[in-house]
Amino acid sequence: MSILGRSARRANPPEGVPLDYIEPATLGVAVELLASDEAARPLGGGTALMLLMRYGFLRPSRLVGLRRLASDLGGISVNDRHELRLGALTTLRDLELSRQVARSAPVLVEALHIVGNVRVRNAATLGGHLAHGDPHQDLPPILLAMGARAHAVGPRGSRWIPLDQLNLGYYQTALEPAELLTELALPVQPEGTQGSYTKFTAVSAEDWPALGVAVFFRRDQDRLAGVRLALSAAMDRPQRLAGVEAMLDGERPSESLFQAAAETASSAVEPMADGGGSTAYKREMIRVHVRRALEKTMRAPALRSG
Amino acid sequence: MPRQAGRSLRRLESHAKVTGTVEYVHNLELPGMLHGKIFRSTVPHARLARVDVAAARTAPGVEQVITGQDVLSIIPDPYYGPAFHDQPILALEKVRFAGEPVAIVLAADPYAAQAALDLIEVEYEELPAVYNEVEAALKGAPLVHDKLRPGSMFADLIHVRPRSGSNVHVDYRVRRGDVEEAFRASERVFEDTFHTPAVAAAPLEPIVTVAEPGGSGPLTIHSATQNPSFVRGELARLLGWPENRVRVRTAFLGGGFGGKQYIKLEALAAASTLLAQRPVKISLTMDEQFVTITRHASTIRMKTGVSADGRILARECEIWWNGGAYADIGPRVTQKAGFTSAGPYDIENVSIDSYAVYTNLPPAGALRGFGVPQVNWAHETQGDRIARELGMDPLEFRLKNLLRNGRPQASGTILQDSGTEEVTKEVASAMRWAEPLDCGTGTTRRGRGVALAIKAGVTPTTSVAIVTLAGDGSCTVYAGTVDVGQGSQTVLAQIAAEGLALRAEEVRVIHPDTDATPYDMGSVGSRSTFHMGLAIQGATEQVSRQLIEMAAPVLGADAADLELYDGSVVARGRGDAEISFRELMATRFGKNTGTLVGSGSFTASYDTPDPDTGQSDDVAVFWMIGAVGAEVTVDTETGKVMVQRLVNVADVGKAINPLLVSTQLSGGALLQFGYAMSEEMRFEEGQLVNSGLAQYKIPTMLDMPKSVEVVLVEVPHRNGPLGAKGMGETGTLAVSAAIGNAVFDALGVQVKELPLTPERVLRAIRAGAGRPLED
Repeated sequence: MSILGRSARRANPPEGVPLDYIEPATLGVAVELLASDEAARPLGGGTALMLLMRYGFLRPSRLVGLRRLASDLGGISVNDRHELRLGALTTLRDLELSRQVARSAPVLVEALHIVGNVRVRNAATLGGHLAHGDPHQDLPPILLAMGARAHAVGPRGSRWIPLDQLNLGYYQTALEPAELLTELALPVQPEGTQGSYTKFTAVSAEDWPALGVAVFFRRDQDRLAGVRLALSAAMDRPQRLAGVEAMLDGERPSESLFQAAAETASSAVEPMADGGGSTAYKREMIRVHVRRALEKTMRAPALRSG
Repeated sequence: MPRQAGRSLRRLESHAKVTGTVEYVHNLELPGMLHGKIFRSTVPHARLARVDVAAARTAPGVEQVITGQDVLSIIPDPYYGPAFHDQPILALEKVRFAGEPVAIVLAADPYAAQAALDLIEVEYEELPAVYNEVEAALKGAPLVHDKLRPGSMFADLIHVRPRSGSNVHVDYRVRRGDVEEAFRASERVFEDTFHTPAVAAAPLEPIVTVAEPGGSGPLTIHSATQNPSFVRGELARLLGWPENRVRVRTAFLGGGFGGKQYIKLEALAAASTLLAQRPVKISLTMDEQFVTITRHASTIRMKTGVSADGRILARECEIWWNGGAYADIGPRVTQKAGFTSAGPYDIENVSIDSYAVYTNLPPAGALRGFGVPQVNWAHETQGDRIARELGMDPLEFRLKNLLRNGRPQASGTILQDSGTEEVTKEVASAMRWAEPLDCGTGTTRRGRGVALAIKAGVTPTTSVAIVTLAGDGSCTVYAGTVDVGQGSQTVLAQIAAEGLALRAEEVRVIHPDTDATPYDMGSVGSRSTFHMGLAIQGATEQVSRQLIEMAAPVLGADAADLELYDGSVVARGRGDAEISFRELMATRFGKNTGTLVGSGSFTASYDTPDPDTGQSDDVAVFWMIGAVGAEVTVDTETGKVMVQRLVNVADVGKAINPLLVSTQLSGGALLQFGYAMSEEMRFEEGQLVNSGLAQYKIPTMLDMPKSVEVVLVEVPHRNGPLGAKGMGETGTLAVSAAIGNAVFDALGVQVKELPLTPERVLRAIRAGAGRPLED
């Protein structure tokens, strides 16, 4: 549905409506506040929520500002499983500048350089980036391919959600109402892992991607191992392509193998038409960019342990 | 003291602009001011069965809610517009596009006004709608207007004949020679149809107006308008008042590009302030700007007959302009772009039909080029196809057919003082055209293209200026030219300074205020430096004459031996005999008192074209002549085009300020670069689906051409101020076609529809290779 089409039916996009704004000091209170009012929404960096409100898609009765929770839900550390632990309220800019992230997930940093622009990254949070459920985000396919898990806290307690179960559809996530993401755990990538993220924008360089491709693999002698490949933006949600991974795993990399993988990828998903292109064009771009992403990953530096 | 004309002076307001201290109407707040928020139609074409604003009127904070019926109580015939009086201040019996203003809510708090919009209920009886310009022109198409309401403001539109009983409200034509006969005599005949989409001006300062009721004084309109004099006249006409009871003033504009031309919010703001008897501010959001004014979408059919050796023998152009629901300045676009649609070529047989067509889309008007960028896309794209199919170099084909001084343009007006040959030579040299270019063989192909442009300066129009000298000898210029960001304040100061032998920095040019500045037709169509420059020259001549007459007895010299130099009157050949302006004023009026006043005006000549043939001896005050060269790389697997070089060559007559002229040209080129590459308003069933800058893609710095170059050509105009011509639009005209031709050179396939999005280019590549992209 069109932006003006929707907002026009609501008369006009509001520039702002009187609403309640609360900044709780604890996660528990934040969850309570969200649970007690169906039309309440959590506010992280606001880079997505404010746009949705501006266009009249969302009319929350109450905004629950999360910034006072940043000391608990922010930060970058390593947990006892040696996983990289990224707090949900960490800004994208902090992730981008983190040495720790650069060491263990260089592909993530590469992608962060081209998420929105620096003003957006200064405000946007990792939790918001994921909970938004917009299929045109840059990080989800990378996190998906890296096997990340997200931790959520809600009225019914807390749980871990594997990232491949987080996105259910177009702007739809597995999060319950009033459930908040608190952190993300990135498993240690095997030594020798090579990875890449490819962002294709169709009309303007500073745009949401029309297609995102994340690829990781290792080289076992002259064969590919541990192949993980995820696509985003062209479909209604980021997806890992198990079939394509299987046809690459254990194979010798070659032009024809990559070509075949790209063909399979392009027919494995259902692209949706939008401002970035028609279904046919998106399918064609998957064919082109999966192949290029595999070639690019071959040239990527291998991760060293420690 | 340096000559003031030819100085590359930075804008006089540069410091104030970068420190955030210049005035914009957007920032204006007045005591007791109300904010107006507009309720807009949600459907493209409907009878208004019921407009219920009762609930909104009682909403918290709301002062007043005004509907079309309320407007009738103070303005019985509330239809406005520069060419037709066809646009109601607020919709009356029906709405004609999705986004049309139906009611306005006034409140001291803009958020309260906005919130109350949700309480307005409108019942629509939907009518069949029409969106495509070619379909709308067909017999039997749903009529957008049952009755045509032509206006009478502009002399160049008087001969434009409205057509009734059709959505085609203007049907402009040129007939020269016999095209049918010439097609029969042609070796090859080429026929193509081209499309351009509606695009947005999107100035960063919104379209904004603040109105004050005035009480015993005049109704005062502070507006970000490019046409203050026109707005005054139009409001006076609507209200049935004399013009001197309406005051229109502007400040610096944060961009206009044509989007702030003629009348936009002023009539609604005037009606609101008169009904509320309080100051009212209406400021549009970016989304609202998109449905307020667009550049015409167009369909252009072009048929060209050529001889075996590449001479164009005949050209037939048929153009449908998608005018949207209201004419705005579309009739002038239809005429202006119409008569140069055969290009800057010497063609004996020309037939042009240019139709302004109403549709149920937002109104279209002028946007940097008055329709010429659209027709240029057609004739320059087809030009490269013809050259390629004849096996000719595209530049050689253009040179062979070039319109040169002394030869009649399609309208019959003889080209003069125009650098068509010079710009072609310069673009060839800048592009190193004689050297071969390796197009490459892999998935990255390289190509280059050129395109030439011609546009007629609008005529007949008038500018009037007053120049004063105060008791201290300081100079003020009263000019109605609006500084929309083009730097007119600086250039007009240079012209006045040149006339009075002052430094431009010492001259003050005041912003338009119809209580103080005399009539000016408007800051449109690249006309200000030429027209206002000449008016200011006339005014400074009067002041200069008075100074010399005053100085002659004081210096005991003959007036013929006196001249102005650096703020003084100096006797030629008698080195030490001089008197400063300040001292001279004191001898006449007493110390630090008095004012010297000079005035000047310029009205361009014009010969009304024959309505059946479009032929005229004098249809352009000057010609804007340009050439663009582009070098591109294309990713053949994605269709993505990157412009590596964009070279803009323009004949500016005389660059009074070379720095500002160059930035005007590169700015215009980059504006059009967006329209060539990515910008396109997309409508579905009359609803705009990519409103606002998040969805509608203006190029970012990362998308810009790697190199943007400007080359100035100076072929002086015999009547221009210091030889100058208008050039504000010259840089935009041929950009799309130059890039398209470079893509053609790289790929061997042509795209005939703008913008050149990767998908459109990839589809052309695949169709050309016989493997079309399957949907």
